[in-house]
Amino acid sequence: MIEQIRAKARELLESGAVDCAIGYERASDGITARPFFAYRPEEVERFIFDETCVHNLAPYLMDRRTKVSALVAKPCDARAINLLLQEKQLERERVFIIGVVCSGVVETGWNRAGEAPAPRCATCPQHTPPVYDFLVGDPVAEEAPPAVTSPEVAELEAMGVEERRSFWEEHFDRCLRCYACRQVCPGCYCKECFVDRLDPLWVGIRIAPVENHMWNTIRAFHLAGRCIECGECERVCPVNIPLMRLNSKLNQETAELFDFQPGLSAEAQPPLATFRPDDDL
Amino acid sequence: MVASPVNSSTDSDLRIVGFLCNWCSYAGADMAGTSRESYPANIRLIRVPCSGRVDPMLIVKCFEMGADGVLVAGCHPGDCHYGEGNFHTRRRLALLRPFLDFLGIEQERLRLEWVSATEGKLFSRVVADFEQELKKLAPRGVAA
Amino acid sequence: MSRIGVFICHCGRNIAEPVDIPAVMEATRAIPGVVYVDENQFTCSLPGQDSVRRAIVEQRLDRVVIGACSPRMHEETFRKALASAGLNPYLLEIANIREHCAWVHGNDRPAATAKAIELVRMAVAKAARNQALFPKEIGVTKRALVIGGGIAGIQAALDIADAGHEVVLVEREPSIGGRMAQLDKTFPTLDCSACILTPKMVEASQHPLITLRTCAQVEAVRGFVGNFEVDIKQGARKVDQEKCTSCGICWQKCPEKVPSEFEMGQGKRSAIYIPFAQAVPAIPVIDTEHCRYIRYLKFNEDKEEGKAPPQCRICEKLCPPQAIDWEEEDSLITEKFGALVVATGYKPFDPTVYEEFGYGHYPDVITGLELERLMSASGPTDGQVLRPSDGTPPKTVVFVSCIGSRDETKGHSYCSQTCCMYMAKHAILLQEHDPEVQSYIFYIDIRATGKGYEEFSRRAQEEAGAQYLRGRIAKVYPKDGKLVVQGEDSLIGRPVEITADLVVLAAAMEPNTGAAEMAQRLSISYDSDHFFVQAHPKLRPVETQTDGVFLAGSCIFPSDIPQSVAQGSAAASKAAALLNRDHLVTNPMTALVDPLKCTGCLQCVAVCPFNAVETQLSREQRTLAVINEGTCKGCGLCVSACRPGAIDLRGTTNQQLLAEVMALW
Repeated sequence: MIEQIRAKARELLESGAVDCAIGYERASDGITARPFFAYRPEEVERFIFDETCVHNLAPYLMDRRTKVSALVAKPCDARAINLLLQEKQLERERVFIIGVVCSGVVETGWNRAGEAPAPRCATCPQHTPPVYDFLVGDPVAEEAPPAVTSPEVAELEAMGVEERRSFWEEHFDRCLRCYACRQVCPGCYCKECFVDRLDPLWVGIRIAPVENHMWNTIRAFHLAGRCIECGECERVCPVNIPLMRLNSKLNQETAELFDFQPGLSAEAQPPLATFRPDDDL
Repeated sequence: MVASPVNSSTDSDLRIVGFLCNWCSYAGADMAGTSRESYPANIRLIRVPCSGRVDPMLIVKCFEMGADGVLVAGCHPGDCHYGEGNFHTRRRLALLRPFLDFLGIEQERLRLEWVSATEGKLFSRVVADFEQELKKLAPRGVAA
Repeated sequence: MSRIGVFICHCGRNIAEPVDIPAVMEATRAIPGVVYVDENQFTCSLPGQDSVRRAIVEQRLDRVVIGACSPRMHEETFRKALASAGLNPYLLEIANIREHCAWVHGNDRPAATAKAIELVRMAVAKAARNQALFPKEIGVTKRALVIGGGIAGIQAALDIADAGHEVVLVEREPSIGGRMAQLDKTFPTLDCSACILTPKMVEASQHPLITLRTCAQVEAVRGFVGNFEVDIKQGARKVDQEKCTSCGICWQKCPEKVPSEFEMGQGKRSAIYIPFAQAVPAIPVIDTEHCRYIRYLKFNEDKEEGKAPPQCRICEKLCPPQAIDWEEEDSLITEKFGALVVATGYKPFDPTVYEEFGYGHYPDVITGLELERLMSASGPTDGQVLRPSDGTPPKTVVFVSCIGSRDETKGHSYCSQTCCMYMAKHAILLQEHDPEVQSYIFYIDIRATGKGYEEFSRRAQEEAGAQYLRGRIAKVYPKDGKLVVQGEDSLIGRPVEITADLVVLAAAMEPNTGAAEMAQRLSISYDSDHFFVQAHPKLRPVETQTDGVFLAGSCIFPSDIPQSVAQGSAAASKAAALLNRDHLVTNPMTALVDPLKCTGCLQCVAVCPFNAVETQLSREQRTLAVINEGTCKGCGLCVSACRPGAIDLRGTTNQQLLAEVMALW
């Protein structure tokens, strides 16, 4: 598998088809993976690919200093590429997608890679990227669409509204407003995030429950119908707020109300950019 | 003047924010005034050009500040002054309501209503109904 | 810190009684930024306005808040007052403490007062963030485009041209005249349609300010009021208009004969033809689908199998001035206009869906428009009404109303307005042609609401002896060379059966082919039947929601001739009033994009109902949204769709709305 990735990246770099190949290399702890950018053909030997390659590398494609990049993409990463294409943040000719058939990544931490699959992978039915130029691994013949419902969401839905409120208050109270969730998200590419604006001051600067609540609510709602469920926000959250439940809930509603799942195609019309006069909502 | 039983001072505990489109619902609220169709005094109305101007962020902000209810009112579907603004509003709010509920803000607290410029009576009924429903929910209080 | 002046209006006792005004004033004085608070008996009165103006000057106010009636009442009044005191009119805010407070909470003074205080506080918070706004002046291209050369379009073109403006009249058929040219006589006066129409057609073609473009279609419309840019596809006639003398040899000698569209398929025309004798322009056009030579050329080009069509070219050989031009191709013309008048008209409903009436199966079941051609002196039968099946004159004629009208299951829910009257006309004319003719008219209701219409309808019954039978018909079937019509007379509640020679179906009027696409090109709305939607059905009946685009005739709704002419003139007066102006003042409350924040996701383009969001490339080659201020109507849909917060709406900015909300806590 890794030889295929290296060979393809080498070929693309040698021919000059891409300026940069983006993939993973072994991190300095010798256990986990970290993003690696190969600019010269000989550097491709540093690429690795295994279940520790947790990152979604798609946001790196938005760096316009590179003209054309090759990107190693798992199915969720490829969905992110579709999202960026659909939202015109990326031109198709600027990326060569080295799709990898994925059976899920594991939970990782500093100096540690677990055995258990990452939470987002446990229920993810997607193995083949929805878009690629070159595929590594055997494609799954009958690819299921991404799951619409999630057990974590269902668990919260089963609670009373009061219980839910205290659930989220407890979590949001811990929020440090470090914005790591935003920085890692392929859908969060605004020039200036609403939370950073001073006028209008949507979110107060103090770290107080009400402001934290506003930040977390709007962060998720700005991803309504857009979250491609790579789970990076939740992975990087230093205080372990279950952010994916918010995103999954919105995705679930989007699927039910508008029959739409983000990132499956670059051409699909996002549900909040259109309407039907006879929408029955 | 003695407070009447209809608008007793207890209802002033509730905070309702209404966003009304300029062309239909704001005019409908004006019509309620012209025809003296009284309704609970605890709603504060904000004029917007179109219900589609109401950014979901504003609605969330109201709730974060402690609003008990938010009413968004626009022209009836098909009657939008701008043709299709209210169709977008309908979609945005259809997504926002269950999401708020998921966060612990009962979806009954966010209402979308269609009120035309002639429907003064309807407007006052909408506000009264809304207030009645909000009274059934626990008060939210002012944000910390 | 701003210097805000607040004026609380008593409105006589309207506000002063339910609201404790001194309490409101006292609370208002405490708001930071408020430097002056005053009250008036009637702020809208001249002394009231004077007090506002005086305070602006004396107190050096930079914002004004007026607590009074709805802004829908007096916003303009007070904006003018501000302007006359030298303050930008958009630095005004109105707290609606009458309609939204005093009048609805009159029975609870403490609650009304508390609410009035908050409404004023919200208005002050918003006003503090108001910006001076400046309407822009945009130029006007003093030319009009009229789309559709029927009677409504001709009337509009003539009236605009008579007002002194250049007009281009675009018609997709080879001649102007439209449906009216096909009619024999017109109700209720029975004057000959061609006799009153042709002078207008000629006038339009000869008017120095009107350019006719026949065989032409509007392909694309860009721009906005006063500044439209329109792509017109000029179809090729393959006949040189300069050389052609309309001698008629070509269309007489052309050997290829096909059914004539103008005659509703009842007569033939040549492959090179003018649609009717009085066509304007009287320049023939080559029908490239049927012309033998063009088919021959195409046959060779496509290398088709079989026998090639003959290399005819008879017209070319016989044409005295050598006007045939095989090389001429369709061309695309782009022109600028200040105003557009849309008069695309109607087409008759196709009655074949009513299988039980046998239209299309039995030749003697025809539509009203087909009967018009049979009656017309210039028609295929030279004005003798003869049965299409055997060419004999019919003696018993059955008319059936509401074919496709007032019938949601097979046609449309609306009434086509003209059918009742033309059925009466047909009955009268048939009787004039041949006194032995007996007409039967099956109707649902008789709708004769125009001037002289009811009298005309009675004349059909009383003088022409037409028998009106209230009811629908169930079935038509042929028997012994005649048609048996089975129906019901619902007034006597009994079935009726009539053996007729001819059955005439009063087919509904539908929007013309391509109406929806035309509406999309023009960014105007259309209803579920594809009729164009007026800006207001009563008060702006020939305008659309798109400024500078006007409507006339049956593209709005089925209209008879007087109505179409009136609408043509009305649309023309609207267009001329627009073109008479040198500049238009734009509404300054439009959206604005901050290019530094725009990510180019173009969600705004997707949601804008007016195509007012355009794109441009930044210096770094990024695509950015830009608002066309001429087209933007200020709905703010783009603002709430813009996640990056790059768009804001002048007059209702995010800052202002947020300030209003925050003023509540």
